[in-house]
Amino acid sequence: MKKFLALMLAAIMAFSMVATAGAASLAGTYDITVWVAELAVDLTKAQIEKFNQTNELGIVFNATVEAVSEADAATQMITDVEAGGDLYCFASDQFARLVQAGALAKLGVKAAETVAAEHNADAAAATMSGDTMYAYPLTADNGYFMYYDKSVIPEEHVDSLEAIIADCEAAQKYFAYEMQTSAWYLAGAFFGTGCVSEWTTDDEGNFISVRDTFNSPEGLIAAKGIEKLVKSPMHLSSSSGSEFASGAAVVVTGTWDYETIKAILGDNLGVADLPSYEVDGKSYHLGSFRGYKMMGVKPQVDAVKAAAVHQLAQYLTGEECQMERFEALSWGPSNVKAAENEAVLAHPGLAALKAQHPYSVPQGQIHGSWWDIAKVIGDDIKLATDEAGLQAALDNYYAKIDALFQLDTSALLFVGAWNGWNNADDADTYYFKGSTLTLDVPESDYMGGRIVNPGSWGTDKGFAQVVSGAEYIKDLGADNPDNNIVFAEAGNYTVTINSNEITIVKN
Amino acid sequence: MKKYSDLEFLKLSKGQKLLYKVKSFVCAIPQKILGLFVALWNLIKNACTLVKNEAVDICSTFVHGDWKTKLSFLVMGFGNLARGQILRGLLFLLFEVVFIGYMILAGGYWLSMLPSLGKVGPSEEYDFVLDAYYTVYNDNSFKILLYGVLTIFFIIAFVYTWRVNVRQNKLAEQIIKSGKKLKSGKDDLRSMVDDKFHATLLALPLTGITVFTIMPIVFMILVAFTNYDGAHDGYYSNLFTWVGLDNFNTMLNWNVSSGGGGVQSYAATFGEILSWTLMWAFFATFTNYFLGMFVAMAINKKGIKLKKLWRTVLVLTIAIPQFISLLYVSKMFAKNGIVNGFLMSMGWITEALPFWEDPTWARVTVIITNIWIGIPYLMLITTGILMNIPQDLYESARIDGANAWQQYSKITLPYMLFVTGPYLLTSFTSNMNNFNVIYLLTGGAPTNPAASSAAGTVGYTDLLITWLFKITQGAESQYYLASVVGILVFVVVALISLVVYNVLPSIKNEEDFQ
Amino acid sequence: MSEQKLLEHNASPVQKRHMGLKASRTLSNTAIYVLLIAISIIWLVPFVCILLQSFRVESTWQVGYVIPQQWGLDNYYNLFKTDFPRWYTNTFISALVTAVLQTIIVLCMSYTLSRFRFKLRKPLMRLMLILGMFPGMLTMIILYRVLKDLGLTQANAVPGLILVYIASSGMGYYVSKGFFDTIPRSLDEAARVDGATRFQVLKKIILPLSKPIVIYTILTAFMGPWGDYVFAQYISFGTSSGMNVAVGLYRWLNKDQIAASYTMFCAGGVLVAIPVTVLFMCLQKYYVEGVTGGAVKG
Repeated sequence: MKKFLALMLAAIMAFSMVATAGAASLAGTYDITVWVAELAVDLTKAQIEKFNQTNELGIVFNATVEAVSEADAATQMITDVEAGGDLYCFASDQFARLVQAGALAKLGVKAAETVAAEHNADAAAATMSGDTMYAYPLTADNGYFMYYDKSVIPEEHVDSLEAIIADCEAAQKYFAYEMQTSAWYLAGAFFGTGCVSEWTTDDEGNFISVRDTFNSPEGLIAAKGIEKLVKSPMHLSSSSGSEFASGAAVVVTGTWDYETIKAILGDNLGVADLPSYEVDGKSYHLGSFRGYKMMGVKPQVDAVKAAAVHQLAQYLTGEECQMERFEALSWGPSNVKAAENEAVLAHPGLAALKAQHPYSVPQGQIHGSWWDIAKVIGDDIKLATDEAGLQAALDNYYAKIDALFQLDTSALLFVGAWNGWNNADDADTYYFKGSTLTLDVPESDYMGGRIVNPGSWGTDKGFAQVVSGAEYIKDLGADNPDNNIVFAEAGNYTVTINSNEITIVKN
Repeated sequence: MKKYSDLEFLKLSKGQKLLYKVKSFVCAIPQKILGLFVALWNLIKNACTLVKNEAVDICSTFVHGDWKTKLSFLVMGFGNLARGQILRGLLFLLFEVVFIGYMILAGGYWLSMLPSLGKVGPSEEYDFVLDAYYTVYNDNSFKILLYGVLTIFFIIAFVYTWRVNVRQNKLAEQIIKSGKKLKSGKDDLRSMVDDKFHATLLALPLTGITVFTIMPIVFMILVAFTNYDGAHDGYYSNLFTWVGLDNFNTMLNWNVSSGGGGVQSYAATFGEILSWTLMWAFFATFTNYFLGMFVAMAINKKGIKLKKLWRTVLVLTIAIPQFISLLYVSKMFAKNGIVNGFLMSMGWITEALPFWEDPTWARVTVIITNIWIGIPYLMLITTGILMNIPQDLYESARIDGANAWQQYSKITLPYMLFVTGPYLLTSFTSNMNNFNVIYLLTGGAPTNPAASSAAGTVGYTDLLITWLFKITQGAESQYYLASVVGILVFVVVALISLVVYNVLPSIKNEEDFQ
Repeated sequence: MSEQKLLEHNASPVQKRHMGLKASRTLSNTAIYVLLIAISIIWLVPFVCILLQSFRVESTWQVGYVIPQQWGLDNYYNLFKTDFPRWYTNTFISALVTAVLQTIIVLCMSYTLSRFRFKLRKPLMRLMLILGMFPGMLTMIILYRVLKDLGLTQANAVPGLILVYIASSGMGYYVSKGFFDTIPRSLDEAARVDGATRFQVLKKIILPLSKPIVIYTILTAFMGPWGDYVFAQYISFGTSSGMNVAVGLYRWLNKDQIAASYTMFCAGGVLVAIPVTVLFMCLQKYYVEGVTGGAVKG
């Protein structure tokens, strides 16, 4: 009976949906749930109220604003998209997971153009998978820098990691830097020496390639830097501003802790970009991630409601709302105009972020599992007893990335059919590990192939995506309905794929 | 191996007795396994015979029955209604109507989709006028699996009820033929509180257990054979489907490249976590047991005053929810927590102790903290039992000149072990699954770098149950892998229980205590 | 040798031994007192600390000292400006209802398994033993979906939670079955001979004897919902009005919230601990009787 009622209800709902979708007007009342961080609940309520009164489209939202932290929101959404908030906030590290889980609705063409035009370019890029935009940038302050207690660390020491560690050890005060439990903080050290971990996703959030150089001579230097810190008895793997109240003299964290730390340290509060450390006589600055917070729209079944919710999301992440958020909560704006506001520029926390800017890398799409894999490097380094141990830590990391990528995207392969398309067999299949591949093309009557996801031949890449190296391949025109890359002559080629662009170089 | 007669066995010393028991258990394993197969074969044979007999009985009921009985094959409860058993007849009929209605409206669909777990995934559409994307959701693998299982349960229940209906009609017909009176609805109701009282009492609890325990467990087991994870949630992202034994192959393969995180295979990780889980369960159970008993004896000792006060102080740990007390304790032992702060300010240590940072320290600290939680329970449990020990035993021991230790080891301990044997077993297995203590205290920390992989961070204090939870909460939410771990946990717990039951025969004799 | 002397002579070793016993008893009692005081301190430290933190006004984050510099009830006052009263009511209601219903179910189950001998009894007990060996962690996802289909999640989480708490509570029959096993069956049989139905036997004979186990069951059932976090979090699914205290308070420990709410968390914790503590103190005697009557049987 219950089932029957439910079916009836569904039928009625479906009918009413069809009835309303016909009209292009967005005017109407919508019940929505909005998930924001606890601190922002009241402000968001007021902002939605204001949107209801000021928008010219006649949209009225009957909104329930719930306090769900940015970290919980993604996990909750993935558990059950339907029960999740229609609008929700999250940090950029969760983006790829959410796209894969079908928890983010794509932005319309106009909305995407607006975001690209009004927001910081890195922030806008962080909301994209492949060529598709999935979310609205909310803040551009999700990075970290150093807070310190001026009474313990003299100002002339703040540039040197070694000096700070020595000061902390002398004063029996802690140096809080979350090197052991968070890849977000740890990876910065690697970026500081020039290592990269670049992941590319396609339009649907699937990872298609990775270029990761943590396991390299530069990576070893970073490992030595981390070692100095984690092996100090006064190192504390934490990023909580309130550690200043329990014996810390330095905490590496972000702008969100500014008010707390200010209250604890008062006049002794010092902020600075991250310090440098010395390895083999050369100095290296600690790098960092430049992350973003975003607001996403849950996929809707009703196009009208979807359009209306996107309007609200655009408003809430617009200049005005971002400024309000900065004033109330010190959240650094991603909106270009808001970011140029004098008050914003004068904020000490944001100023320190700016000082750290040259050493930071924008946080793009990263495989969700990478966070788990990378964060244990810190523990591994702590356990290491010599340089070989450090190298082993990096080797372990590399092996795990390798295993992960194979697991997830063994999908990505180059299928070559050197002896005619119908003869494609496993011997002609080349797996991409990373984004480049070396191909040995033998002399044969059909030296062609393309990059495919097995089982989804519709999304493969080939001739049409080649942007450089066209001189090595034949343009078969209408004779190439399969979009194959057909080499003109045998030889050894390096094929690189970067999201949608294929480059071919002859070796 | 030499078999002892009862008399010889009694002559052995305690250690020898235990050794003998263990030995005979181990030696009996091959035989037991063989026995298991024989039992299984017998079970199948018996089931076949049962089905055959039932079929014959059903056929003969149909052939020999009158028209009322025959019609009851189609319309359940018809015979009962026609013979005046209105209540029974109506119940049967109602059940049939509900069943058929359900199968037509929903059950048939779920059942037909079960083999594929759905055919059409969600699709994203673009509305040109509104410039907005919206999603059309189609099949729901999760619901198909869930309601498919439910439908199968329902069908089994229906077949059983139908069979009861046939049998009752046969019986009623026979009773009428022999000239006796049939039971009326009133009689039925009376028997519900009398000779069928147990069925009445069990109806509600068992329904609850079936729907909220058995069905989810069946579902959980089935998930291990699918690819259900964050990117295949069955409705919003992609459908999930059956993958056979792939997941078991991933989890149980010792080969790093075919299953695991790149450095260590899942099987090795599982082994490491399992060995710590067993170690933890052992220490958690026995430290609590003996120390709890000790504290209880100390409080109960003659001449100790304020007994109630001491007990109340301890009992506070039970009364305050663990998510508050354990989180606080976890902070207390942090590197810059108050314990280290206190020790340093007293000048006893110069460097913070690595309570949660060092693997061995962390393991010891969780066991000690667990003592803090466990002693009050054990204290309460043992207090009563200690009072039950006949005092004249101690009296006579004292006259014989036994000292306190002898009294304890000769009287108290054997008595306690005898009485609480089953409790020890259940507390061992529940400690293996003690999620709260580990999750709230350490969250598994410190990290074990080699064992951590794409399936989540693994720490030195992680138990199988917290690992399982971490897998579901990890980046890829691999429910299928968690489900495999769940099944393996079950296998381990079941094996241990089996062994203990065989070594300690006293547990089996339920009636001994009455 | 006079008689007197003889007596003294004979008595002295006994007396001496008695004296020695007394001395050693005082000694061992002193040791025990010292031990008990030490234990009490260790056991009380966390609670005292939490209590003290809840009265701290000068700051809201975690600090390295224990005794507040400024005392006040601000944290308690602030609690009532949040959704805390709602969470508290939710938990209290679910604890109360669960306590009643779960007790009925557990007693039905354990009484039946203790008193009746029917065909499926042993297989049933074995089945429940086996079911108990499955880790319940994963089944929560399924239960969540089932409850969602019934409309008992998010804002309606309280009835949903109660349903799940009581539905499987029959599995926890061990302790009370053990207790019933200790009540002599001759009592039932005598009543049956006098013509009482099974139901009357339960009502008139067994229940009056079972006060300790009934109270024990109520107490444990009442305590459960106060600490439940993982499942309650699933069911309330981000909806504040459906949360229980554990889920609500736990959110304040989130990274972006902890500095602003830590002392309030402690104050909430103190309020949560009060009802269970009071109940426990009053009913401790029955708890001990119930658990010793039952737990030993397993």
